[in-house]
Amino acid sequence: MSGISELDQITRAAAGDRAAQAALVNRNMPIVFRVAYRMLQDRAEAEDVTQETFLRAWKKLPDWQPKAKFSTWACTVALNLCRDRLRKKKPVLMDELPERVDTGLRPEESLASQQALQGIEAKIADLPDRQREALTLCALEGMTNIEAAAAMDVSVRALESLLARARRALRAGLGAELAGER
Amino acid sequence: MKDMTVSTERVLELIAAYGAEPGAWPEDERAAAAEWVANSPDLFAAALEEARALDQMLLNEQVPEPSSQLSESILTAAPMPKPAARGVLGGLSTLIFPQGVRWPAGAALASLMMGLVGGYAYASTGAGYDQADLAYYAAFGVENGEDWLGTE
Repeated sequence: MSGISELDQITRAAAGDRAAQAALVNRNMPIVFRVAYRMLQDRAEAEDVTQETFLRAWKKLPDWQPKAKFSTWACTVALNLCRDRLRKKKPVLMDELPERVDTGLRPEESLASQQALQGIEAKIADLPDRQREALTLCALEGMTNIEAAAAMDVSVRALESLLARARRALRAGLGAELAGER
Repeated sequence: MKDMTVSTERVLELIAAYGAEPGAWPEDERAAAAEWVANSPDLFAAALEEARALDQMLLNEQVPEPSSQLSESILTAAPMPKPAARGVLGGLSTLIFPQGVRWPAGAALASLMMGLVGGYAYASTGAGYDQADLAYYAAFGVENGEDWLGTE
């Protein structure tokens, strides 16, 4: 799809072009799923949010205004859906949450690698929601500061503050593991 | 954020927020900040090392893949191609005659022509028909059709 602009792709997808719809999904579904998974730490819920995000996209496409990239818009919707779900979950104490069973990691991964990954994943999952959002969009998904700030509806300075606090918390939490990386 | 705002403090802020990789720093500050670091490497060595270690761990972070049915489910709900707009009557016509209206229209015209031809033939043989009727009435002892019909 290199010769087709995102706006062309969206216009064609809105008109029912199956190839354009598939390309839009293939390009943007993974990032929406990963953002949702990092926020919710639950594969099934992340899939629900991803599906709901695209349902809204299909309704939105006929009136699409190219103010932002589709991925930024989709992440904004996904984050809002995640916040709604997290808000409903809040009364449950973290200690009461069940252990995550299905991480989807391949069995051939070494035990040491598993432990390290669970370490960083667990520390990311423990971050406050807004810090996790900022870290996910910027550090893990490679959005620019402007895109991430737009998706989170905060200023760039506020985004930087959230990022710095997230990284500081991770460094503090990872401690010895992080020293081993140096 | 303009290049002129770059300072030691600002570069440390960038490293703290975005990590050690200049590619992750804001585009409008990147070149000036990288130059600032290159000019005073010792000032930033510790911050960069610490940030680099965390960057490496973040690179190793993994997320499970979504199920293979997710894309399919999403595409199932995608909008379908819209038929060309033809108005209410056009839509109704398509619903009733999905193959088009040409054949039904032709059949209606043929029926009309047969009716006209048949009607003309009937009218042209009207006298003979009356004679047959009178013979029929006579067989029952009736003098004319009006008596038989009770219209006298």
